[in-house]
Amino acid sequence: MTQVGLVFFPAFDWAISPDHPERQERLLYTRDQIQEEGLFDHPSIREYRPRLATDEEILRTHVVIPSLDSKITESHRIAAGGTIVAADLVIDGLVERSFALLRPPGHHANRIVHGSRGFCVLNNEAIMVDHLRSRLGPDLKVAIVDTDAHHADGTQDIFYNDPGVLHISLHQDGRTLYPGTGFVSERGGPGAYGQTVNIPLPPGTGDEGMLMVMERVVLPILQEWKPDYVINAAGQDNHFSDPITNMSFSAQGYAQLTELLGPDLVVLEGGYSIEGALPYINVGLLLALAGLDYSKVEEPYKGGGRQSRAISQDVARVCGEVMELWQKRSEVDLVQVFGEGDFFERHRQIYYDTDNIHEAQQDCVRLCTDCPGWRMIYTSSSRNRQPVAVVLLPWKPCRRCQREAKAQHAYLVDEASFEQVVWQSPAVKLG
Amino acid sequence: METVSIGIDVGGTNTDAALVCGAEVLALVKVPTNQADLLQSTREALMKILQHYNGTDPVRLHLSTTLQTNTIVEGRGAKTKAIVIPGPGVHLASLNLPFPLLELTGYVDHRGREVRPLDIDQVRRIQESLDNEEIEALAVVGKFSQRNPCQEELIARELSAWYKGHVSLGHRLSGRANFPRRIVTTCLNASIAQKQRDFLQILRGAKEDLVADIQILKADGGTMTLEESAQRPIESILSGPAASIMGVKALSRCQAKNFLIIDIGGTTTDLAAVVNGEVLFERDGAIIGGHKTLVPAVLARSFGLGGDSELNYHPGQGIQIGPRRAGTPVCLGGSALTPTDAAVAKGLVELGSKDRARSAWDVWARQLGLQAEELVEEVLRAFTRQLMAAVDAFYRELEGMPLYTVEEVLHPPRLKPDAVVGLGAPAEVFIPPLAKALDLPWEILPFSAGANAIGAAAARSTVGLTLHADTELGTITIPEMGYQGEIRRPLFFDLEKARKLGEEKTREYAKSLGYDATGDVYIVEEESFQMVRGFRTVGQRHMVRTQLRPEVRRIRIGGKST
Repeated sequence: MTQVGLVFFPAFDWAISPDHPERQERLLYTRDQIQEEGLFDHPSIREYRPRLATDEEILRTHVVIPSLDSKITESHRIAAGGTIVAADLVIDGLVERSFALLRPPGHHANRIVHGSRGFCVLNNEAIMVDHLRSRLGPDLKVAIVDTDAHHADGTQDIFYNDPGVLHISLHQDGRTLYPGTGFVSERGGPGAYGQTVNIPLPPGTGDEGMLMVMERVVLPILQEWKPDYVINAAGQDNHFSDPITNMSFSAQGYAQLTELLGPDLVVLEGGYSIEGALPYINVGLLLALAGLDYSKVEEPYKGGGRQSRAISQDVARVCGEVMELWQKRSEVDLVQVFGEGDFFERHRQIYYDTDNIHEAQQDCVRLCTDCPGWRMIYTSSSRNRQPVAVVLLPWKPCRRCQREAKAQHAYLVDEASFEQVVWQSPAVKLG
Repeated sequence: METVSIGIDVGGTNTDAALVCGAEVLALVKVPTNQADLLQSTREALMKILQHYNGTDPVRLHLSTTLQTNTIVEGRGAKTKAIVIPGPGVHLASLNLPFPLLELTGYVDHRGREVRPLDIDQVRRIQESLDNEEIEALAVVGKFSQRNPCQEELIARELSAWYKGHVSLGHRLSGRANFPRRIVTTCLNASIAQKQRDFLQILRGAKEDLVADIQILKADGGTMTLEESAQRPIESILSGPAASIMGVKALSRCQAKNFLIIDIGGTTTDLAAVVNGEVLFERDGAIIGGHKTLVPAVLARSFGLGGDSELNYHPGQGIQIGPRRAGTPVCLGGSALTPTDAAVAKGLVELGSKDRARSAWDVWARQLGLQAEELVEEVLRAFTRQLMAAVDAFYRELEGMPLYTVEEVLHPPRLKPDAVVGLGAPAEVFIPPLAKALDLPWEILPFSAGANAIGAAAARSTVGLTLHADTELGTITIPEMGYQGEIRRPLFFDLEKARKLGEEKTREYAKSLGYDATGDVYIVEEESFQMVRGFRTVGQRHMVRTQLRPEVRRIRIGGKST
């Protein structure tokens, strides 16, 4: 038996709008099921209260425009804070594993936040990773395995150039589902190339395909990379009954996934089959985390778990492709990918579906051989047309990057052509 | 005419009795508890207290007894088998429940929908499967039976055709969710049912003419009739701590909304809390002898620190008190020094022989190379120190209770006490320094030593119900009274309607049990959710938990005591 800490925060008084999938009712039946199964007072599971995340804990990870309080509700602060509580429980050795079973979710939230996208404003896993590093030091290696049906584009964005983080997302193929990204070719920035691993799965993938992905890709990669902590961003919308996706996992499949992965920390992401799936997936997940017997967990209403032969072949092909890229990641000539100059520059248009905001971003990464490189991002949106400049330093910046970033920040402030110039550096204070 | 009642609290060491007339305490008596024959010492206490009664009008008797607590803790209940309908979920065998289980197929889901019906052949084969076993009672428990008891009821109907022993049904004992606890609660209830009936028979037979009505005290501080206690004997467990807390509610003059109750005994100290004028209850239910139940109970935490606790001296750390009892204090003729001896030696209380206590302190102090006064002071300080630590841990536990809404996280309920109310013989010595350390006003309860019996006498009958309404399915369930109704106009059945119905049904239920149903029915807990499917509202789900308030009669201070 493994001691599991459970930070359960169903936010029974919060919704994006009354009939939105992210509404008060979402975790009601999950609460009922966990309570009825007696898991809240099972000897190996202990429940803990969430708390509010502080500005510092959020702004270490995010840049919120125009200001933090203008974009988040208390509920977002509690979900982020609850995730931090879950991390602290494990760091402090109060439990061996913990599960932040809370809402609203976070994995579509990028580093720069102009509003809500994919129901997310703050990225709970990313805030958790930065909290882990702030307590345990910048050398910490953290792997995030995102098992939501939607590509974790926000988490990918935040750790895109971060060598301390390995981000693996398995999801329904972006050609068939929001947010339309997460292809195998998205592999990370110049400072962390190959550490963004996307596994797009064909619609209809069931337990068999998921287990194949775990055994052929996720587990071998984790074994090789040797993270200090494994976080599972546990979306539950790969379930066959989910109303907004097309996958075919069962509650048993999710429990097996959890047992195979053996994550230290689990954070709930999406999942909107609130009656037919979530209660059973969450019970199975808790049991699997605690090392208890989950063999009898199943949905009352059947209909999935299986996949066709064609899908099996397709999944096997994706696994092969991803593993080949992973194994050859260090052979890639980065000059070919990111160019030869001092900076790698990219321009992006980002759409916030939940709030209907268009953001335009220009992102420059310093190509540095001693560290992941400092970054500069110019951002503006249909809601905040005045551009904002952000100067970013990685967790372990080299001296030259620190100097250059500071000089650039001072220059941008002097120039006064930006509405705001934000300095974001977890390790280096300004001045 | 003033109501005259007698409260009897059977404790581990003593049986206390109180005679209360209206708001006045007429008498208190104490007799040693006869563990081998509880009824004998109960009767002795009753006879002794009745000697103080000069009236001719019949009196009520409220009895708080450890009978069933002892039966359970000592594992002497009847051999009980649980017939369970687990459906999918946690593997029951992995929970190691302390009762043999017979699992049946069938399944009711969280909404109370019957997903899989019972296999009627399997139900009929129960008889065969029990043939070779020495089973004395049965418990029938289904997962989510509190949301729809139909499968438990069907089994009960089948059993009634041939089974002669006691059968307890899970849904009748609690409306709360928690299948393992419901199994345990129902099994324990079934296992003590026969004993309770035997006890009641003796009680009725032994009834004095002067005793008009007997009520049994419950773990929630209310009382129930003998008939009710035959159905739900499990509710009579742990009534002792509840009696003391009811005593505080009856006697305390404390005006604070939040206060801490500290009951210091010889062996243990019990802590309980009043928040916003209400005694705090266990979140799920009482825990007894390691069994987690759904029995509504006042929240009390007990730890090994009392007037007769053992003392250990560790150089560098000072005195450690408890957790075991040392025995009779030296001042009363015992052989081991106790905190009571420290209080006596310092002259804080007069009890037994001060000289005996003093010379024993001198001997021990000399062995340790200390001054006797210094050692006595250290014992008194250690008592306060350990009490402080326990109070801290108690409130830390309370403040760890989960919060499920943004509102609660932003404005968590304020639990911290604004005053301390102490009771128990050593309270007058140990409460003032603790209260000073906590910087709070304090009160030592009058009749401190008999507050439990006074609490039992002053307690009133209570009932609690859980109403669950689902307007999409059009169902209303109140498991405790076995009620299932239909919602005729789902669109108009809002939370307010659910509250009204809950209140109405609580009174109806109370009346059917012969209780005074005119008291305050209040809502202990409620929740209401809009159910949306595919961007369309399909119904509302309301849960209302009501209770006939466990009021107590207020006792005027200054009455006679003997």
